[in-house]
Amino acid sequence: MRPSRTFRHGGIRVEGDFDWEQRGPAQNAFLPNGAVILLKQHSGKQARCVVRRGEYVREGMVIGRADGPFSANVHSSVPGVVRDIRISPLPEGGRAEAVVVALEGAFDRLGRRGERYLWKSMGRNEILSTLRDRGVVDTEAPGLPLFDLLSERQETGILIINAVECEPYLRAEAHLLADKSPELMEGISIIRKILSPKRTVIATTRSEDSSLPPPSDDGPDVELVRLEARYPQDMPRQLLEAVDGSRKFSPDDAVILRPSTVFAAYEAIVLARPMVERYVSVSGGALKRPAVLKVRIGTPIGDLIEECGGFLGPPARLVLGGVLRGHSVHDLDAPITKTTSAVIALDSEEVGSLLRSPCIRCGRCAEVCPERLDPDILFRLVKRGLRLRALELGLGYCTVCGACGYVCPSRVPLVASFAAESHSLGEAPR
Amino acid sequence: MRRAKNLSIGDAPYAFKKRTSASLIWGTAAALLPALGWGIYCFGFTAAIVVAASVGGALVGEACAGALMRRFTLWDGSAFLTGLLVGMAMPPGISPLIPAAASLFAVSVVKGAFGGLGSNWMNPALAGIAFSLVNWPAQMRAWATPHHLAGLAGISGATPLGFARSHAAAAIAGSSNMDILVAGGMRASGIDASVTEALNRGIFSPLGADLPGGYIDLLLGNKAGALGELSAILILAASVILLSRRVIRWEVPASIIGSFALLTWAFGGLSLGNGFFAGDVLFSVLSGSFLLVTFFMAPDPVTSPSSRAGMLIFGAGTGSLVFLLRTFGASAEGSAFAVIMMNCAVPAIARLDTAATRRRAAKASAGTARGGNANGAR
Repeated sequence: MRPSRTFRHGGIRVEGDFDWEQRGPAQNAFLPNGAVILLKQHSGKQARCVVRRGEYVREGMVIGRADGPFSANVHSSVPGVVRDIRISPLPEGGRAEAVVVALEGAFDRLGRRGERYLWKSMGRNEILSTLRDRGVVDTEAPGLPLFDLLSERQETGILIINAVECEPYLRAEAHLLADKSPELMEGISIIRKILSPKRTVIATTRSEDSSLPPPSDDGPDVELVRLEARYPQDMPRQLLEAVDGSRKFSPDDAVILRPSTVFAAYEAIVLARPMVERYVSVSGGALKRPAVLKVRIGTPIGDLIEECGGFLGPPARLVLGGVLRGHSVHDLDAPITKTTSAVIALDSEEVGSLLRSPCIRCGRCAEVCPERLDPDILFRLVKRGLRLRALELGLGYCTVCGACGYVCPSRVPLVASFAAESHSLGEAPR
Repeated sequence: MRRAKNLSIGDAPYAFKKRTSASLIWGTAAALLPALGWGIYCFGFTAAIVVAASVGGALVGEACAGALMRRFTLWDGSAFLTGLLVGMAMPPGISPLIPAAASLFAVSVVKGAFGGLGSNWMNPALAGIAFSLVNWPAQMRAWATPHHLAGLAGISGATPLGFARSHAAAAIAGSSNMDILVAGGMRASGIDASVTEALNRGIFSPLGADLPGGYIDLLLGNKAGALGELSAILILAASVILLSRRVIRWEVPASIIGSFALLTWAFGGLSLGNGFFAGDVLFSVLSGSFLLVTFFMAPDPVTSPSSRAGMLIFGAGTGSLVFLLRTFGASAEGSAFAVIMMNCAVPAIARLDTAATRRRAAKASAGTARGGNANGAR
């Protein structure tokens, strides 16, 4: 394996090495007594609800139908009775319908050895429509349905499997890579059948991953590239820059997928399983026993926290996703969705001082910006409502990675102002 | 609905680097204490009173400005640091009222009137020093020799830098700054003599060089001068700590020292009739307030550019101005005024930076017009 590489400009090393004691494969989390399944777990419109209150649903049954492009089917993750259909807040903001399923009755799949579907005889379009039926979406926010992500691409330059985790509290992808490498290799073959990429790379930040099994003879030729754990190494531009140093492939010639997305595609095609489960890392200083768990979609985060031994002390903040790009929640009933990679309960020491002080123009924000912007100037312009001038200075290229906010010694709310701007720009119909 | 109590919510990021602006400023102040301690050792209790008066004036100024703006800002350390720096630039025996007035002016007018920390365009400590230099020129040049050097014959009432400059015209062509000082009656201390001898025997003679006496005294701080600026080695040690912990960035000091040393080496010998490329860089760098200003006042982030290119330009300008002011200015010392002049140029330098950013953004948008980011291009 080559020595670790990284991207060129800016970036930060996130302090604090979270101590993961867990060894061995991820355990299944307890099944939720009441699964709260959001009908919007993808980038497009909320799925149309096709069940009624009181109806009995089986495990894996469609409860929400995709409604137009970028929308995706939603399946029941547990068997049971629809107890409620209600409007529920989304962690990233906004609201959507949620179907609450009370666990009841028998499992169709759990504990049974499913048949393996011989997908090699399937055509490209057949694979794509199967992925659509089974509700497979990109597990990275905002959850682009895999069908929409892949169907327009014929000949792709490079396929990157993004196992990079450069924040201390994230571990789900690395765990999946270790637990399920044969399945992932098969999943990569499925994706490659759709995209026929010239080059396929698994990008990782951990040295342990070099123990991945060498691709078998009939398997795909996949390179393993080790990257430095510098944030935001996992973002598309930085990832491509580090993996493809010679700049052979342009950004629109690259497809980047998380291992969890590939694994969902594998399960959908080979095991004929809809996307009802995912790996979630549950951690943070306020938690007794951090763990990576295999969780049914719709499990309330409170259940996971209880399963991890509950809180050590009062948590100061609950975060879904990651401390630099995630969303904070205060509702322990907030459910796991297809794009929730982590639940993080921070204690007050980890949250630290949020006291804002005046900007001392130290320039650290510009130093770490991976897009080479000057967050200080952009913030001043946005605050004065001079959006056009800010755009001239590159505001549109801000990826809201949060590096500037992380280093700011004055705790200026830089990122929040940029995030609000990038929403109002409405760049993409996500 | 289950809710956890007392959770803070808000936007990402939810993790921060531990250091805050206040910890940066207090850390800088702490690093200065050894150099200040040396000054108090050299000049005794009166020096401590001068610094206390200066810090007191700064804190009162901050409290008054804070009261007017209805916010309490003493905790951020910036007033304390300003007071400390002003005090350290004072001659040891000065009336405490002068540093107190200078600090009060620096913090309330130069900083507070512009909106407090982060909003001032001129470094407050330098403004305070300039304020007292202009208002009390005689008191600000009343130097004394440290107590422990009292037995040695010295150049009383002048710093080495000031003495060398004022006697340069009368000196025999070909003499060095040190020659002038020795001719004026300066005697090196015992430490200087023994260290110089050891260095010459062990390092310089084998290399065919020879270190004249006196430099070790300059380095250690065995000389007359402002009470906090004496010991070059303690200031350098503090700078190394702050640089390695990235509290101050290297660009500004490196650029100042580089440009100043280059000009001194090239042209510094002219005033002594030694011709080009014969300047005494070591003497110039180690004497006066140069090091304290270079490491602790010029890199003040508020009043210096924030980009690397900007900092290098700022430093080069400052270093050149220090040389020009020291050579042609009204007094031997020019560091403070050089930085103040470059403070004025910071908005212009920032404009250059913004233009560069704009060009980059325009180039990037031309580059991505074909597509967008991976996966998100729709």
